[in-house]
Amino acid sequence: MTSTTKRQVLVSARGLEVHFPIRAGGLLRRGTGVLRAVDGVDLDVYRGETLGLVGESGCGKSTLGNALLRLVRPTGGTVSFDGAEVTAMSRAQLRDLRRRAGMVFQDPFASLDPRRTVAQTVGEPLEVHGLHPGRQARAARVRELLELVGLDPGVAARYPHEFSGGQRQRVGIARALAGEPDFLVCDEAIASLDVSVQAQVLNLLRRLQRQLGLTLLFISHDLSAVRHVSDRIAVMYLGRVVEVGPAAAVAAEPQMPYTRALLSAVPLPHPQLERSRRRIVLRGDVPSPARVPSGCRFRTRCPDVFEPCPDVDPALQPVGSAPGHVAACHLHGVVGTPVQRERPGEPVDAGDPAR
Amino acid sequence: MTQLPTPGATPAQPPPSEPIPAAAPPRPRWRETLGLLARNPTAAVSAVVLVLIVLVAVFDETLAPDGPNDQDPGRQLQPPSWAHPFGTDEFGRDVFSRVVLGAATSLRVGFLSVAFALVVGTLIGLLAGFYGRWVDDTLMRLMDVLFAFPAVLLAIAIVAIRGAGPANAILAIGIVYVPIFARVTRASVLGVREEVYVRASRSVGASDWRLITRHVLPNAAPPIIVQTSISLAFAVLAEAALSFLGLGPRRPNPSWGLMLADGRGFIEQAWWYTVFPGLAIVVTVLCFNLLGDGLRDVLDPRQRTLMAGGGR
Repeated sequence: MTSTTKRQVLVSARGLEVHFPIRAGGLLRRGTGVLRAVDGVDLDVYRGETLGLVGESGCGKSTLGNALLRLVRPTGGTVSFDGAEVTAMSRAQLRDLRRRAGMVFQDPFASLDPRRTVAQTVGEPLEVHGLHPGRQARAARVRELLELVGLDPGVAARYPHEFSGGQRQRVGIARALAGEPDFLVCDEAIASLDVSVQAQVLNLLRRLQRQLGLTLLFISHDLSAVRHVSDRIAVMYLGRVVEVGPAAAVAAEPQMPYTRALLSAVPLPHPQLERSRRRIVLRGDVPSPARVPSGCRFRTRCPDVFEPCPDVDPALQPVGSAPGHVAACHLHGVVGTPVQRERPGEPVDAGDPAR
Repeated sequence: MTQLPTPGATPAQPPPSEPIPAAAPPRPRWRETLGLLARNPTAAVSAVVLVLIVLVAVFDETLAPDGPNDQDPGRQLQPPSWAHPFGTDEFGRDVFSRVVLGAATSLRVGFLSVAFALVVGTLIGLLAGFYGRWVDDTLMRLMDVLFAFPAVLLAIAIVAIRGAGPANAILAIGIVYVPIFARVTRASVLGVREEVYVRASRSVGASDWRLITRHVLPNAAPPIIVQTSISLAFAVLAEAALSFLGLGPRRPNPSWGLMLADGRGFIEQAWWYTVFPGLAIVVTVLCFNLLGDGLRDVLDPRQRTLMAGGGR
């Protein structure tokens, strides 16, 4: 499904914030700061699409994915799922949300309960939601799910430690699909698999997405994988979505210096192209999410930093030629909220990476 | 930057699956557990001995040649002989019969007090570990208060308040062991609740109760099971100590601790009077400890495959 068909928003985040208090030890446990894992994210996921979410580790991708399903509680902003407000859901509504939205986790060695058989793991959503009641019906459905993900249904009685990483990940996918969800969050779902198995699982996800009409949020730091499966790509940096657009447009004409740097790090398969590839190497490290720079949060490492960057927090604005391509960068015109200072004229926190 | 590579070659659909190891013959889990336990000689022997001790306790009246208080005035403090394999005490009672009949008392107090501590302590530990925050703080501070008293002193205090007798001894020993189970459980739960599979289960809509009973408790269980076995050992000892101090079951009914206490006065003339009930305690306690170690190994599903894998 591409951007040309009529699009309907399935999941939507507005100003989403997940802040964790940083507590110093000691008797009084005073809060000493705030870790801004997700800090004001606006994002729409359209029904039937695959949205790739990329960014460095620690940029808040996974926290965002978890917050969309309320597996972590947002501290601010809103999330809506098919029109319903996720942050205000009752217990029963939340249970229904978790039937309609599944999650595939990164480490298939950690995400399956070692004491439960494959049938128990895959059948758990059926039990929880009262789907396919009765032993026989449930067992039949579990076999069907195992076949769907390319596993031999005969393995239902086995324990996870008897399987390889790829097979375990298939079990994890079968579990996520058991409740017939509309939306699937794949949180680094292929990151801890062997390269050959990565391709298999990636193709499995693509096939399932087409076959079942799923909406997929594909979280990964692997740009080539994201490019391979996604209709649209969203780039995250330090708790904020900084660029979103059709996958081809973002890959071909990245509009934000961070995206450009990210893309330039991907090796090319063609030797000649690879030789001429120019890498944009960023200076320094990602600032701590506990000390987010003022204004544009990328300015401390940006090769194109200029005067408004520390003073105005950039908003997403239309960029490039493709429709729906947006980026938060002052190079395309200074749009955003001016930074509030405690005292006027006070020098801005430099956020110098050397500090 | 005009193009991005796609990963590797794209295999045909459906993707080829990796080979899945040959199917193991389906066997009920408890039978497999028993089978593995049988291969651990120490644990197996301990289990057999414990079963024998329990059988003795159950069929005590059939097995004991004499009644608990049958006196033979002409034969006080006789050394072991064919007629009295463990000798006789100062009233001419058969020590063997009294050791057999005392098993029921000692084991009943041990089992019931540990059962009490297990249920209450595990529940407290589960809630404290799973919910954390103020639930954890409140419950564990309570446990700390209990822990602050020396164990036997606390038991004595409880018995002193409620009066001597087997029921109060059970309650006293049980209460003493509650904080131990609470701590062991909480520590184990703290590790398990952060596991991805717990979050995964939550992500498909499982309730807290389901997470606790289906995922957290089973995975947190091994240390609790080991603790149960070890606590049984200590509870048998504690029962003996309370009886020894005259706070448990009352004379003239036999219990191992009481016999130790009574035999103490004659230890120079009649070693058998204290040694045989003492041995009964030692063997029972040792077996519970060894069984606990064996169970810990067998209950781990990863080790289970390693151990069971050899023959397949």
